[in-house]
Amino acid sequence: MRMSGVIGVILLAVAVVLLPVLAGGQWVRIFTSTACFALAAMGAAFIYARLGMVSLAQVALMGVGGWVFLRLNHATALPFEANLLAAGLVTSVLGMLLALPALRMRGLYLALMTLMVAGALEIVFTARQFPNGGTGFWGVATSFSATVRRPLLGQSDPAYLRYSLLVMGAGFLLIEAHRRAAPGRAWALIRRSEAAAIASGVNVTLYKTWAFGLSGLLAGLGGGLLAGSLGLLDAATFRASESVLLFALVVVGGARFWFGAVATAVLYRVAPALLNNWGVDADLALILFGAALLHAVITAPDGIAGQILGFVGALRGRMPGVRP
Amino acid sequence: MTMRVLRKGSLKTAAMFGAGMIALAASGGAGMAAVSCGANTGQAATGAPVKVGGIFGNAAPGDFSASTTAARAYFDCVNANGGLNGRPIQYLTENDQWNPELAAQAASKLLKDEKVVAMVGNGSFVEMAVNAPTYKAEGVMTMASACAVSECFESPNIVSTNQGPLPSTVGAAQYMVEEKGSKNVSCIGLAIPDVGPWSCGAMEGYMASKGLAGSSVLLNPASPDVNSALLEAVGSGADTILVNLPAGLAIAFLKAAEEQGMGDSYQWASSTPLYDRTVPEALGAYWDGKMYVNAEMTPWDKGGPDAVNWLAVMDAYAPKEAARDSFSQSGYLSAKIFVDAMLALDPATLDDRAAVTAAITAIKGVTSDLMCGPYYVGEADRHMPNHAGTMVVVKGGGFETVRDCYEYDSPYFAPIFEQEKALGLR
Amino acid sequence: MRETLRALGICILGVTVLGLWLGAGKPASVLGLFIVSGLAVGSLYALGGVGLVVLYRATGVLNLAAGATGMVAVFAAWQLQDRGVLAPLAWGAGLAVALVLALGYGRFIAARMAWREPVVKAVASLGFALMLLGLVSFLFSDDPRKFELPTDKAAVMILGLRVTVTRLLLIGATVGLVIGIGLLLERSRIGLQMRALANNRRISSLIGVPILRVETMAWGLSGLLSGFTGLMFGDLVRLEPAVITFLVIPCIAAAICGRLASLPLVLIGGMTMGVVESLLTLSQPLKDLRPMAPYVIAALVLLAMNRGRALTFAGEE
Repeated sequence: MRMSGVIGVILLAVAVVLLPVLAGGQWVRIFTSTACFALAAMGAAFIYARLGMVSLAQVALMGVGGWVFLRLNHATALPFEANLLAAGLVTSVLGMLLALPALRMRGLYLALMTLMVAGALEIVFTARQFPNGGTGFWGVATSFSATVRRPLLGQSDPAYLRYSLLVMGAGFLLIEAHRRAAPGRAWALIRRSEAAAIASGVNVTLYKTWAFGLSGLLAGLGGGLLAGSLGLLDAATFRASESVLLFALVVVGGARFWFGAVATAVLYRVAPALLNNWGVDADLALILFGAALLHAVITAPDGIAGQILGFVGALRGRMPGVRP
Repeated sequence: MTMRVLRKGSLKTAAMFGAGMIALAASGGAGMAAVSCGANTGQAATGAPVKVGGIFGNAAPGDFSASTTAARAYFDCVNANGGLNGRPIQYLTENDQWNPELAAQAASKLLKDEKVVAMVGNGSFVEMAVNAPTYKAEGVMTMASACAVSECFESPNIVSTNQGPLPSTVGAAQYMVEEKGSKNVSCIGLAIPDVGPWSCGAMEGYMASKGLAGSSVLLNPASPDVNSALLEAVGSGADTILVNLPAGLAIAFLKAAEEQGMGDSYQWASSTPLYDRTVPEALGAYWDGKMYVNAEMTPWDKGGPDAVNWLAVMDAYAPKEAARDSFSQSGYLSAKIFVDAMLALDPATLDDRAAVTAAITAIKGVTSDLMCGPYYVGEADRHMPNHAGTMVVVKGGGFETVRDCYEYDSPYFAPIFEQEKALGLR
Repeated sequence: MRETLRALGICILGVTVLGLWLGAGKPASVLGLFIVSGLAVGSLYALGGVGLVVLYRATGVLNLAAGATGMVAVFAAWQLQDRGVLAPLAWGAGLAVALVLALGYGRFIAARMAWREPVVKAVASLGFALMLLGLVSFLFSDDPRKFELPTDKAAVMILGLRVTVTRLLLIGATVGLVIGIGLLLERSRIGLQMRALANNRRISSLIGVPILRVETMAWGLSGLLSGFTGLMFGDLVRLEPAVITFLVIPCIAAAICGRLASLPLVLIGGMTMGVVESLLTLSQPLKDLRPMAPYVIAALVLLAMNRGRALTFAGEE
């Protein structure tokens, strides 16, 4: 795994340098969206892989992050970074609140709890939309929306892509750092048995809440970045079904590996864009997408990331260490 | 995209449109040769293409591609008739699939990668809201054709040929007040800020300006429950219920009203989405003669040189099954006005976006029988040239005009009337 | 039974308090209108929830494609009716299509992911839902259309609201299904086997429960239920593919109210959701957010269900 981490950092560096230069205007935007959703996917993937907990509200939480980001952008003169951080933190707190019932739930029930949250948020987003510079608490004006400030180092679209990739990399490293330190060991123990974890002095409540908070943080950052990229958000992006779909793709991508989250985001944003670019009818693309999803769930236990590892392992002539 | 349009006819509509086409061809009697496009030279344009973009939305739950399809048909016709001073128009269209990110990507592709000089025929629910700032930043003018949200009408670089929900709702209310004696109108809109509250709010403003009562009932599109909205409208004490919803939801709402037997105890009106060929059949006999609908473009069968040419161009250059509806009229008209403006432009500056934008901005006082008022653009932070329409009633499986072209009047239009005065149109 | 009565009591109490609070100062007849209207909507949620629970109990699959399956059924029925096929035959064909789709998915796709955990099985069924949604959106233009049943024309007055026979049929069918399926599970051999599977699959197979047969029965039954739900949604909600497909999410909320197990509780929960949603129309600040009601109620039920649990263990669901 250490090896794949090093490769990851190298690949990220290559992407940061090359993607903004090589991609055209359309693809710069597609890759920016992909980076935003990769952050959220990483959040969902890691609580699933480390704790067996399923969040079907990840995209809805991105919406919360995006809302906070836009609200602050239009209400204050704070710099981009402050707004982004606030978006991450507020979403993180919401994630932790979500974790309180989660402490007592497992498996499907927990997943459904998060789905109910996603369903409720969908209704709020539709009825209230996202702040665009209007007055009042909800900040929605009906005319031309006010501008969204971008970071100093990301004024143009290509520079913003570079910035987003770096934030994504930082998010991934944050997870990796946790995995290697005390929280990672605590999570592993909790996953085996909470009783055992408590017996060995692990604060189960703290670490579970922490994990959800971390996952929410990544979703919030992703939502804030997306808002900065588009300048405004629309409720259609954050429907409950999108949250379910993102989690399905997390399973397909492979939840246990960092490149699984990247694969998830690529499937979620790059694949539909490619099909659209090739002129495939949107409805037919949906059929293809659904079929591919079913196929991957049936055939790939560790997702695409697992298959990549298997392939690399076969190349090296031995099985890779893919233990959790 | 063409494939998508073709298969539209694969089921029921094939037979209907087929029959319609024969009837139209017979009644028009003009045949295919009578098209009139651009310079009308009869010579195919062969020079370097001029790139023009267009974004439409087509995915579940709706299809707004009729406008770009009609614009493409007209551009193809222009290209076969001398193009823009010998240069063909290369019309690049993108589908935003109702996804804001895809909409932004499409705009980037067209404006930054393809460097189109203008956007024409856009039809979408989400594209305009997302891209309005981009159009301004890129200095491009968008001559949209099928707009539904406020941003489309309150932005400096978008001008739409269609009316959208606001004027159409106000127009419907005005008809009901002036000709049907309505005193209290309840507007049923979508609970999406830049759609329902925006348009129903302007209707309330109109009612208040006349010293009458108006109220809004907002429906969340995700809810299966339309009954409570109906009860809420009844509770408001209204004598007239004005449906301002997408056609599918409007039909569900009216079905609930039919269930309650309310067809005769209230007066009924609707904004333009119900002016659609398949609506009378979907509504059923119950609403015959009861439902008054505002049409944002002139009725399809009204006739006139542009109306005849529009159908002829569609017959000759569009897929057979492509819709011939209001959005199609609007797309055709946007494309025609654009081409006329470009033909008047110095050919040397056709590739210069700034010059094209200036030429579009200078458009004023263009009249057409497809639209009730004059079309103009002008330099302003909002554009709404189309604010006069026609009122029709659902009758005998079709529509019957009950009030021809009339201009709407509401406090909302005050800044627009000012613009028109400044341009010498009023 | 005691639990069901208790839940019923809590729900009636809750709805009464909400009704009195929101309806303060309004005539009682207005309240009556909203309650009857809410019951009509609630029975839609309940019917959808019943179909989900029947399948989940027997196979462990929470089928997110149930809405899409019903959607295909009602579109098939509409198309046939539109082509002039005799209405009852068209409805029958719609049900048959749903049956075939559910059996096909259960037998050939769901069976191959039996090794996955319940959440993944549930989430994967979204893939099937997207396929069906894509297919129907591809085949049908988005012209507005209406699906009607002859029972739409007749109606009775209840508390001042005209209620069509279709809605009565829906409520009757939902109650009938809850009782009928309850009896089936209680009395028949296949019901016993389904209950055994629901309790413990491994032990069931050890003692000779024919898992494949029981599961196929369950998928078939759920397919018919989805088909019927689809016809009802098409008639009473609206005939739009995306709308019917994603109505499965509030139906899941109703299923949660029954803890994915108890059909009477699904019925009570669904009805409560409908009435609360309808009553919220009377609240000025909340009325445009009223479709949140199902989710909030389901979340409260989940919280109450897990009250007092301190620990969770791997393997428990």
